[in-house]
Amino acid sequence: MGGLNALAWRGLRARPMRTGLTVAGVTLGVAVLFAGLATNAGIETAVDSAVATMVGRAELRVAAFGEDGLSQDTLATIAGTPGVAVVAPAFERRTYLGAEAFGPGDPLPPPVTIAGIDPAAEATLHDLTLRAGAALSGDGPNDALVNATLAREDALAVGDIIDLETIDAPVHLRIVGILAGDGPWAGGGGRALVVPLETAQAAFAADGLTRVDIGTASPAAVTDALESTLLDEPYVLSSPQDIGASMRASTGDFASTTALIGAIALFAGAFLIFNTLSMTVVERVRELGLLRAAGASRGQLTSYILVQATAIGIVGSLLGVVLGAALAAGIAAWVRTVGAVALGAPVVTVNDALAALAIGIVVTLAAAIEPARRAGRISPVEALKARLDLPTARRARLRWLIAVFALVGVAGMLILPRGADETAVVRAFLVYAVLLVAALVVPFILPATARIAGLPFSLLVRFEERLARASLLRDRSRAALTVGALTIGLAMIVALGGVGQHARNAASAWIADVVPGELVLTSIFPRGLDELEDVLVTPGVASVSPIGSFALAIDGVRTDAVAMVGGDIRNDGRLRFVLGGRELALAAIDAGGAMIVPSGVAARDGLELGKTVEATAADGSVLKLRVAGITERTLPGPAGEAVIVGWSDAEKLGVAGADAFAVRFVPSATAADRAELASVARSVALEPTALGRIEGAIGQALDRVFGLFDVLALVAVVVAALGIVNTLTMNVFERVREIGVLRAAGMTRRQVWRSVVVEAGITGLVGAICGVVAGLAVGALMVVLAGGRLEIATAVPWPAVVAALVLGVVLAMLAAAYPARLASGVSIVRAVGYE
Amino acid sequence: MTAQLDTSRADGAPQIVPRPAAVATGPILEGRTLTKSYPLGETTVDALRGVSLSVAAGEFVALMGPSGSGKSTLLQLLGGLDQPTSGEVILEGEVISQLSDDRATRLRRDRTGFVFQSFNLIPLLDVSENVALPFTIAGQDTSRGEIAERIRDVIELVDLTGKEHHKPDQLSAGEQQRVAVARALVTRPALLFADEPTGNLDYTTGTEILDALWRSCEERHQTIVLVTHDSKAAAYADRVLVVRDGTILDTIELGRRRDHDAATLIGRLAQLGL
Repeated sequence: MGGLNALAWRGLRARPMRTGLTVAGVTLGVAVLFAGLATNAGIETAVDSAVATMVGRAELRVAAFGEDGLSQDTLATIAGTPGVAVVAPAFERRTYLGAEAFGPGDPLPPPVTIAGIDPAAEATLHDLTLRAGAALSGDGPNDALVNATLAREDALAVGDIIDLETIDAPVHLRIVGILAGDGPWAGGGGRALVVPLETAQAAFAADGLTRVDIGTASPAAVTDALESTLLDEPYVLSSPQDIGASMRASTGDFASTTALIGAIALFAGAFLIFNTLSMTVVERVRELGLLRAAGASRGQLTSYILVQATAIGIVGSLLGVVLGAALAAGIAAWVRTVGAVALGAPVVTVNDALAALAIGIVVTLAAAIEPARRAGRISPVEALKARLDLPTARRARLRWLIAVFALVGVAGMLILPRGADETAVVRAFLVYAVLLVAALVVPFILPATARIAGLPFSLLVRFEERLARASLLRDRSRAALTVGALTIGLAMIVALGGVGQHARNAASAWIADVVPGELVLTSIFPRGLDELEDVLVTPGVASVSPIGSFALAIDGVRTDAVAMVGGDIRNDGRLRFVLGGRELALAAIDAGGAMIVPSGVAARDGLELGKTVEATAADGSVLKLRVAGITERTLPGPAGEAVIVGWSDAEKLGVAGADAFAVRFVPSATAADRAELASVARSVALEPTALGRIEGAIGQALDRVFGLFDVLALVAVVVAALGIVNTLTMNVFERVREIGVLRAAGMTRRQVWRSVVVEAGITGLVGAICGVVAGLAVGALMVVLAGGRLEIATAVPWPAVVAALVLGVVLAMLAAAYPARLASGVSIVRAVGYE
Repeated sequence: MTAQLDTSRADGAPQIVPRPAAVATGPILEGRTLTKSYPLGETTVDALRGVSLSVAAGEFVALMGPSGSGKSTLLQLLGGLDQPTSGEVILEGEVISQLSDDRATRLRRDRTGFVFQSFNLIPLLDVSENVALPFTIAGQDTSRGEIAERIRDVIELVDLTGKEHHKPDQLSAGEQQRVAVARALVTRPALLFADEPTGNLDYTTGTEILDALWRSCEERHQTIVLVTHDSKAAAYADRVLVVRDGTILDTIELGRRRDHDAATLIGRLAQLGL
């Protein structure tokens, strides 16, 4: 037994190239898997720390709806609620610093968040760690703290005086301290200025509060009490867990997609291992038979192969964990933010490393079981026959495939990220299942597909194509496994291309479909249309339509909402109505008491046409809103699509003004007119943004995430390409005599070389064709499962399709470099008849 | 070695007077002081130690000798499969022993044919496709015209008409070798090399192959160089060169005969102590 194990080691060492390729396959598969684990652990940590920074030691947070914020009465009610130990109120607004510093034509500087706090109360719930200077005291109304990002970007130091742009005259503030980090204001550019509550409120002539954090020993009791006492104005009550859950939900898709790609890379790795060990069995059939004749048991021969697999699994998985950690660091640097979470460094835990190691080794062993059993079944007689006819056991291989699929699936379940919700998990599994079916179908459609894939090659090199195709089809199940691995890798690329294209299309269709104008002027604080007189009289401007975004509590559920002018939309011809008359609905929202609902929200909340819902108005009264129309989509809000209400209702709901203005030019407007408008808009602190720029920004964010997915899927394709090297090499080994005969009959070395390269090309093209078909199906499935529309889901992502085809063929032909050289170097004398 | 045993069963009167070969217009193939050495570990093995020979057009020559004598190495050099360590091979007046790989390949395709002991056929091609292989490799259309006619002709010569579309695994071992002979003949090569073509076959089947080779020589004036260790196979030749220890030990002229009787040859071999 020990002797046989030593032989197994020597077997691995004897074929360094093949062993290396297989180890590389395991390494890459485990690396993608582990990178996913570390990234997701990083997301978890980032969520936890973001939540911790945001709420500190507060057990509950009451956040305001609308611009007016929570009233002093509400603060008093909260403070008086039994069980509440500390209340820390805060007021936040976004504005610009140093109004004089930029001229009317210059682009606006990045905005800052002004946070007004009660220094004493705040300190009990939040740690504002300082890098320099001192904390805010109660008696310095013009003292301010700046956070790290603002201090760095604007080169601010303790003692500097800064001007705060407000509704009235600028306020001069003296910086007394600089925060060590960005505090709870890391989102939205991260620039924050912390001042006493009264200073902030005075600057904006407001008396409302953005949020009230509560310190309590009995959060459950306080929650119940507040729900029965806070009735006068809308608010959101949340616990740190709620905030964490909502942040995590925004990362769920990312996490489950990463896990899915990891599983696919590992699956491709399993194909490679299976093929390599099968090759070892075929190649050593005589040797193994001889061992059997010399008295080795079946178990010993089985373990001969399993020992090799274990060695490959351990070395490959160890390297994979190391590579995966590096890959995860790259992912974090590349993606930066996932959903609402800023991604920090990946978190490498011992548990994750052990899990990745164990999964890598177990999958390797699982892939080895079938070849190992085949080794055990070799009979001494068979091995000593002059001609080796090894029966192809296709059914056994299919069984093996399903077993490994299940195993990788179970492994996926074990390592599933916490953030992924159930639908994301179901989606990942469905996609995985479709890919398995694709891989299982490959052996049956291989001959027909190979004929199609061979056509372009046969035009160039007819005879070589014929030989190549025949060689490919000789061991159909081996070829099918090779093609299958490539298929699922390329399918992933096409599918992700489809999903990415859908997301981009949806985003741009969304914006273009809804905004009644060509340009949007955005403001960081609410503005009335009357403040825009200068804009309105700018030459070339046809119309300016105010848009205000806010949150609405419909029957107690927080819903994103926008206030718009129905008449402007009607004139502009935007919004596609699914239900309800367009004219009637748009007139109805202008008249008040009505709203237009996007189909997604209508389906989610059961809002039928004509149904009336209740919303809480700013004064605490109830405002009835009737569903006047259902549209395909509306404007995006922070948490989903927004319902549209008219401005009269918006004012009742506490919306102080518009934060965006859609501008339409007259057809004769010149470039100078447009430039003039931009300049005028900036002079009143409005940032002009072309619709294309909004789409571009959304596209860039999507490109980043999908670029990452593509890279990960590419790793799976590379693993599959390694499989092609192995398979072609084996085909060449098996055909050495045949190549000798062909060479003796006058085939040149170049022709032999070409036939192997063409074989690879056909393999690649077949994989690409199957991959494209499977990928389109998977992509459509992913889009539909995510709630997308079928007609968009079935749009073909041509760039991804072309990329998959080119990638499949080119990588496969590159993979042929070594086996083709091997084949063209075959010596006729040694190949033919001389043993 | 087997020849010694066979001397006892020599039957019939030896035919001493050889008949001249059908066509005798100077050598078609010449080997001049050919040597071939292989490195073997620290030392080198001399497989051929200066062999010279010539083959006339239309002649059937057998290279005979025990295994390890160097006869197969000699055939590989003569057929351009391998290059000699020293010496020259001249085919139809052209020195072929120092050709580049590409030129040697073209030579094999156009001017020589090979039949090996086994594994001669491409398993995925049928009989007529295997026969057509040299043309296919050259990129020629094999389905019409003179080429198709030639393919039909050689298949008929080896008596396989009707089995054109059988795959190799549907043929007996003898039939497979006959396909190999047909393929070697289809380009009407200047020379046909056969290396132990009957080595894997039983007596009757082996005879079929040798008959096919002999007919091509007799009827079509095909020049043949046959390597064998079997005196019964060698007895088909006009002339037998006895190879031993890398040199030609003796030349036995048998002449063109219809009966292929091995007795004379066996007798001569016995005199040589083989």
